[in-house]
Amino acid sequence: MADHVLTLKHFFEEARAGRLTGIRCGKCGELAIPPKEFCPTCQERNWAPVPLGGAGSITSFTVIRVAPRGRGAEAPYAVAVVRLDEGVSLLGRIVDIPFDSLRADLPVRFRPIVTGEQTAIGFGPA
Amino acid sequence: MRRVAVIGVGVTKFGKHDRTSAELFAEAAGDAIRDADVAPSAIQALYYGNVTGGEGEKQLHMGPLAATLLGIPTIPTTRFENACATSHAAFRHAVMEIGAGVSDIVMVGGAERVLNIPTDAATEYFAYCSDASWEQSVGLTFPGVFALIARAHMDKHGTTEEQMAHVAVKNHRHGVLNPKAQFRKEITVDMVLKSAYVADPLKLLDCCPFTDGGAAVVLAAEEVARKRPRSVWVLGTQAASDTMFMHEKRDLSRVMATERAAAAVYRQAGKTPADVDVVELHDCFTIAEIVATEGLGFFEPGLGGVAAEKGWTSLGGKIPVNPSGGLKAKGHPIGATGAGQIAEITTQLRGEAGPRQVEGARTGLTHTLGGNTATVLVSLFGRG
Repeated sequence: MADHVLTLKHFFEEARAGRLTGIRCGKCGELAIPPKEFCPTCQERNWAPVPLGGAGSITSFTVIRVAPRGRGAEAPYAVAVVRLDEGVSLLGRIVDIPFDSLRADLPVRFRPIVTGEQTAIGFGPA
Repeated sequence: MRRVAVIGVGVTKFGKHDRTSAELFAEAAGDAIRDADVAPSAIQALYYGNVTGGEGEKQLHMGPLAATLLGIPTIPTTRFENACATSHAAFRHAVMEIGAGVSDIVMVGGAERVLNIPTDAATEYFAYCSDASWEQSVGLTFPGVFALIARAHMDKHGTTEEQMAHVAVKNHRHGVLNPKAQFRKEITVDMVLKSAYVADPLKLLDCCPFTDGGAAVVLAAEEVARKRPRSVWVLGTQAASDTMFMHEKRDLSRVMATERAAAAVYRQAGKTPADVDVVELHDCFTIAEIVATEGLGFFEPGLGGVAAEKGWTSLGGKIPVNPSGGLKAKGHPIGATGAGQIAEITTQLRGEAGPRQVEGARTGLTHTLGGNTATVLVSLFGRG
């Protein structure tokens, strides 16, 4: 039985409080977003949690104008892949940045999006 | 492994139907059995693909349902779900069952019905093929997934919205020639560019439609197939995966699973991209066709958009891509799409494709992509 250092539930509870947490491989140093059982680089099963600062920049983005059921009132909204300064990436909803100023390499900062019991990843201005 | 061939194909009209997905499959499978000229009782197993039946039709346990409607209720069945690559994944397993000597004649296919539910519900169900925690949670849709890829491709290679539009225009032009296609009307680059944004930079006419339809193929072992002159041989079939998470994709301008599966299938078949005469590939969005033509080795990275613009992928061009009209114009009933592509390539290699025939085609390729680019299947087919 592996020692699950970070579950999805734990990750999002931390995120809700404004803290992002990655996992680092104790053998090869690979940094990843949890949860993950084996290290995809060295196949070791030895992760330790590490705090992530939340600062990063946009890799790619889109403005979604046709939303899934239940999200129609939110549209249009922007979603981006953001590469964090530590080297791992996260997908997040963009908040408080005008659509026409979005571009690759734009600096952004993590901001949790809390809706009732749900927490999702968001990014606002750096 | 024993050699395996396609000996029969069947495809329904793609579009809107007022029949269940299992009924649509049964029609296609019935046509495939007639085309194969075998008795229904000769089918020894069914590999069945469907994605959204649980949500859209409140129907699971679809394998035996499909076999029951087909009239062969006692054969072993298995239902596959690999997002949009569902029935191509089913095909690979059916090939392995015959190759391993378990069965001699196997039916593989699939069906989907989504036009019975509202568009926003279908958009939600399709989004279930992306990750719930990381992607659905922020409202990422499938147009959104491919918009992220499009933006990365534009930034890296200078690909333009106009080049993407050329893919849609070409596939609509081909669709006019296909009586089974959902859309049989030509469109212009200007119409694509002026259509409404769905997920920037993708517009409505960059996107394939929601579609109802079924498709099926009958596969047979060499001993059965070599007696049939219209048999089309499976030269290779390979599956590859990539991380399920958009945030872990190594390079958003590429589909790594396509590149892995393509390299494996060319090696398996002893072929190169230059040997391929006709291609049915996964153009769920125009950018998907551009990235796929690069990943399959037909064009260097960055030239997929140029190829579309110059007409190199049109009927009569260097390497005709999606003579059926592709997902864009033929339609994309996701559980049936892979089997539908295999049926088209079989028809092409038999020389039976009528006005959309690629003259002299002897080697064909099918490519089906699942979901957020995490599943890809690529197969090669040949005559003789």
